[in-house]
Amino acid sequence: MSDLAIGALSFPALLLLIFARVPIGLAMFLTGAVGLVLVTGDWSLPLARLKSETYTTFSNYSLSIVPMFLLMGYFATLGGMSQALFKAAEGFLGHRKGGVAMAAVGACAGFGAICGSSLATAATMGRVALPELRRHGYAGGFSTATLAAGGTLGILIPPSVVLVIYAILTEQNIAKLFLAAFIPGALAALGYMLAIAIYARLHPDEVGVKARVGWGTRLRLLAAVWPVLAVFALVVGGIYAGWFTPTEGAAVGALGTGLIAMVQGGLTWATLGESFRSTARATGMIFFIVLGAAFYNGFLALTQVPQEAAAWVGGQGFAPYTVLIVILIFYLLLGCLMDSLSMILLTVPIFWPVVQGLDFGFVTMVELQSARLEALVASGAEIAAGTLVEARGMLAAGEELTRELRRELGLRGVSNGVLARINTEQVAIWFGIMVLIVVEVGLITPPVGMNLFVINAMDRATPITATYRAVLYFVASDLIRVAILLAFPVITLILVPW
Amino acid sequence: MDRLARAMAWLGGLVLTGLIVMTCLSVLGRGIGLGPIEGDFEIVEAGMAFVIFAFLPICQLTAGHATVDVFTNGLPGGAQRGLRAGIDVVFAAVLIVIAVQLWAGLMSKFASGQVSFILGFPVWWGYAGAMLGALASSAVAIYVAVLRVAGVALGRDLLPEPEG
Repeated sequence: MSDLAIGALSFPALLLLIFARVPIGLAMFLTGAVGLVLVTGDWSLPLARLKSETYTTFSNYSLSIVPMFLLMGYFATLGGMSQALFKAAEGFLGHRKGGVAMAAVGACAGFGAICGSSLATAATMGRVALPELRRHGYAGGFSTATLAAGGTLGILIPPSVVLVIYAILTEQNIAKLFLAAFIPGALAALGYMLAIAIYARLHPDEVGVKARVGWGTRLRLLAAVWPVLAVFALVVGGIYAGWFTPTEGAAVGALGTGLIAMVQGGLTWATLGESFRSTARATGMIFFIVLGAAFYNGFLALTQVPQEAAAWVGGQGFAPYTVLIVILIFYLLLGCLMDSLSMILLTVPIFWPVVQGLDFGFVTMVELQSARLEALVASGAEIAAGTLVEARGMLAAGEELTRELRRELGLRGVSNGVLARINTEQVAIWFGIMVLIVVEVGLITPPVGMNLFVINAMDRATPITATYRAVLYFVASDLIRVAILLAFPVITLILVPW
Repeated sequence: MDRLARAMAWLGGLVLTGLIVMTCLSVLGRGIGLGPIEGDFEIVEAGMAFVIFAFLPICQLTAGHATVDVFTNGLPGGAQRGLRAGIDVVFAAVLIVIAVQLWAGLMSKFASGQVSFILGFPVWWGYAGAMLGALASSAVAIYVAVLRVAGVALGRDLLPEPEG
């Protein structure tokens, strides 16, 4: 059997192991190790790699962001932030039709801002909001569906652990990915609220009513969430502004939420130990998958499968959008079965080379040249007025600047190589956000979406079928959003500088 | 074993907290003009290797690893127990191999005397810390595997199911 065949067969073998309940990280590790043995002929290579690879993987500086963000999420819960967020959102939205459900979505979005995981967001907000929803007369299935959907906001709204992993895999800038996730995340929250409003009008008997609260109360509730807002602004703002690296931002966030929890009195030795244990479980899970993926992907790269797949797809002359849509549908299906992190680690090394080769033409040479020219003018460079007018005229007419003109202007950084690099980065960011959204839709897609089970398990009185029925409104909202973001990449990319 | 896993989680958590505080101090120092803590990221890297290894035992003990169980949930209880026992035996073997090879890596770093780039501390220190966690992980994994196999023999689950 050729190396290529071994590589190609490894993927179905891996899926088979995973579906047989082998932990995903272990399955990738085993497939990678056995694959390496088959390709190289003996055990020495995988064993030699193990000598340093576990250490270097676990001590990766960029990955150290993961346990820090996780701890930050648990501290945030201890500091009573989930409760405060929900109360504040309820104060503003609660009296509307379906308002308490909208408040739950709003609180999920807010909590997602400080917590990077869907399941954790869904579980945390579920504990806070589910009893409130039921108390105000909301139907069980509608309540659980709302929270399951709201939980998916956690992963999209930065900071997000999965985006960090994606950034590392595709060697992209973490801060830029966080920026790109911002508008799609906000759109998701709005889309869910819209879905709630529609559901509430179609099924008026399933939503309760709550009295409007006055502005005094609202402002007091808002004041109670300022710690969340402060931590969020500090972490995300600081990363964007370049005050600190994403890892440093995570450290600042974890310390900040820890101090708030201490001040609020939520941090005791018992709860601290509990936060450590929860962080430990999630961290252990994530890093074992990361390790398994490193092993599996190392093996795959050796078999040339990703390169060959990319070359094959490139050679078929498919339209870029066709390829992308097929990949997204694959993610949607697999996303129903697996958590997003495993999905990303498993598939991005295979799909990214394919997608990287596609030309979506996001930035044209004319656009690049105008941007660089305006930057040059803004920097106060001395340019002859006539030359500038001529250059701007050409660009406005959609023509590229001539070589002579570029030299006269002293315009740099406009080579084809630079253009290709910018376009690849734009595609990487857009693809990452799209994949993340689609995988999250999988998390709430009946009959197997994981968030549905987590939330449904919290409300014993509600049959899972009731959750299924209500969650379809949210899935519809998701699919419409995916279509919009797919058709207009600019929505995702507008905030990302290049 | 429960004690060991919990103690390692505490230890890992405390080191993690230490790294977080140090990173924040470094950022603060840079912000107010005192300059960052030199080589802070080297300490974070070496410390993080310990933290992650220290976090593995409790993950192992409480079955915290991500799995896809929709396809196997329909199996009868005995078949499920057998499957999980088999998987956890393999898992224990893998963690032991990882620990053994980490030890080999530690020995080679020790012999070569390699030091870190900025602070110049021996690289094997980091490996030694990681080794501690790897040993605990192996011990817990063996314990889990033995209980699962015994569970198959006795026909009932000896380990509690994790919540969520």
